[in-house]
Amino acid sequence: MAEKSPVKEAASSESVPISNSVQLKPSPQFSAKFTTPTPPNSDVPSTPTNRPPPVDADVIHVPSYSRWFSWDKIDSCESRFLPEFFDGRSPSKGPSLYMYYRNSIIKLFRENPSRKITFTDARRNLVGDVGSIRRVFDFLDHWGLINYSASSALSKPSKDTASNIKSSDSPSLESPSTAAPTPKQSSTSRRFCGACKSLCTIACFVCDKYDSTLCARCYVRGNFRVGLSNADFRRVEISDEANADWSEKETLLLLEATMHYGDDWKKVAQHVGGRTEKDCVAHFVKLPFGEEYLGHPLLDDAESGFETNKRVRLTPLSDASNPIMAQAAFLSALAGVEIAEAAAQAAVNILSKVDDTTASRGDNGSLERNSRQESEISSNGDTNQNASERAYADANSQLNKEEEDIGRAITEITEVQMKEIQDKILRFEEMDLLVEKERQQLESMKNLLFIDQLNLSFRRN
Amino acid sequence: MKSPASASWKAPLKFRMPTAENLIPIRLDIEVDGQRYKDAFTWNPYDPDSELVMFAKRTVKDLKLAPGFLPQIVQSIQSQLATFQSYEGQDMYVGDKIVPIKLDLRVNHTVIRDQFLWDLNNFDSDPEEFARTLCKDLGIEDPEVGPAIALAIREQLYEIAIQNVTSARENRINKKGRRAAEHFPISKASGAALDLMKLFSFRSSVVRKRKEWDNYKPILDLLSNEDVDALEAKEERSGR
Repeated sequence: MAEKSPVKEAASSESVPISNSVQLKPSPQFSAKFTTPTPPNSDVPSTPTNRPPPVDADVIHVPSYSRWFSWDKIDSCESRFLPEFFDGRSPSKGPSLYMYYRNSIIKLFRENPSRKITFTDARRNLVGDVGSIRRVFDFLDHWGLINYSASSALSKPSKDTASNIKSSDSPSLESPSTAAPTPKQSSTSRRFCGACKSLCTIACFVCDKYDSTLCARCYVRGNFRVGLSNADFRRVEISDEANADWSEKETLLLLEATMHYGDDWKKVAQHVGGRTEKDCVAHFVKLPFGEEYLGHPLLDDAESGFETNKRVRLTPLSDASNPIMAQAAFLSALAGVEIAEAAAQAAVNILSKVDDTTASRGDNGSLERNSRQESEISSNGDTNQNASERAYADANSQLNKEEEDIGRAITEITEVQMKEIQDKILRFEEMDLLVEKERQQLESMKNLLFIDQLNLSFRRN
Repeated sequence: MKSPASASWKAPLKFRMPTAENLIPIRLDIEVDGQRYKDAFTWNPYDPDSELVMFAKRTVKDLKLAPGFLPQIVQSIQSQLATFQSYEGQDMYVGDKIVPIKLDLRVNHTVIRDQFLWDLNNFDSDPEEFARTLCKDLGIEDPEVGPAIALAIREQLYEIAIQNVTSARENRINKKGRRAAEHFPISKASGAALDLMKLFSFRSSVVRKRKEWDNYKPILDLLSNEDVDALEAKEERSGR
């Protein structure tokens, strides 16, 4: 990463790739922060005015993705990850309790920031049930609000549990083999189960709500956090290709071959050597397109992950036979039309500049290839625009139709109700008549009785 | 689960801790290879089992205990959980019960003694809240005292709840019929339970008698190191 400048700088440069992979929730503030990483020095002011920082100005390092933290407030991501405190199910487990746990744990840590606090320390000092304390502790640990000191040798910040966020990249995993992965691996990730920490081989179950990954065994056993059910998980197959990772050389060969042979995957497989056709195609499609070569944040992996659900319907060229175009179309649809266009144009410009200056470089081939691909992307932007306009119009018309349907339904309902009322009124009128008749009968009977009485009294007298 | 406070005999309720949250106190006292681990905390019995293993692993790791502790801890917690669950299906009678709860504990350097009345019918009661407030009010700086207080309260409530269950069971076996059963829970279970009617009748006043004031005051002591050592030695000797 960065050179060994003061500790703060190192921490900031470390923060960025970590946030790259831990950025799982799509709140817009995160993507903004993502492009402008500032040194974590500015995180100290997150302590508000009523808590003065220690006099000897110990700077507490907090990663940039936890900048939302403040002593007095509860952020939305906290209520998302720890819903047990916020759903009102139990009367005493409320947000104030959560704040008490959180603030006391953080205070405890900050008393001695060079030492990692353990969960047992924290739970010994807090009044409450250890399960919920553990969840709060894990949450804080994972977000780097405690135990994040850059001086710690092995930064294994969090212990993942089923109730915690699962990031598909290295830092939060415990296995030492994760020293190897480069940023490229974020796409062909090794899936570790969040609950039992075993490598997921065949299939794994991903929960989108809390973004945790479970291996099949844990899923079946029900080892997920409180509040989730079976339905929240979806199945993700892991191909055997994940076990055999693609080296740089192989990927390079693959790209070359694709450029030369286009769609003829047999020849591509031959060129790459050692990979079956299916593997080649699969890997090619999974490549994070153009990112490493350009260094351009064309896309945010996290964003795409979330918005896939919504925008899947809107990918116009998703069934294009050319996998390059499919990838490009997919990516640009996710990023938004203008963004993709702008990015493509900028990429092409910079590439042509770079091309000129590094004409003798060995990797010229790949750059040229990418520039050609980028120009294709930009030309695609236009068609994408039309497609998305059409989609937009479609959506609108559907909305209107629904509105009309609802209107019609409402009028029908009111008609029926009015008819009911009318019927009732009719029936009441009939009843009225009957009652009237009875009354008259009674009156006549009364009269008869009176006459009889008169007769009787006459007779007597 | 609030029962109406009008009748003195209430329909039996399902067993649960008479607090807002159904948490149970767990006490661990395990000795492995000469290393002794004593601990006590509150546990949520509805947490999944994975939670239990997780907790045990972390505790062993954090306290650097021998790995032989792990199965023992898990087993101990599980057995206490099982006891709780065995009581869970059964009924318990809760009469108009206000019980005195006594605190008499020593946590590190702090000794606290206190006595207060607790309403068993109030299922919204929260020992944790009480412990937090008590510590704040008395200005106790040692943060480990709070959990110990909450735990002590919970343990006593648990005991009383269990007694209620057993008394309910005995009443069912007892064939004297419902009328007699009315008086049983009140008078039999835990003789220290006060009768609301007697306490708040028109003859006695609600204000506590002066001679009882001292009983109900919290007493807080801070010990010096020698005192602590002396006490610990005495406890170990009596424990053996």
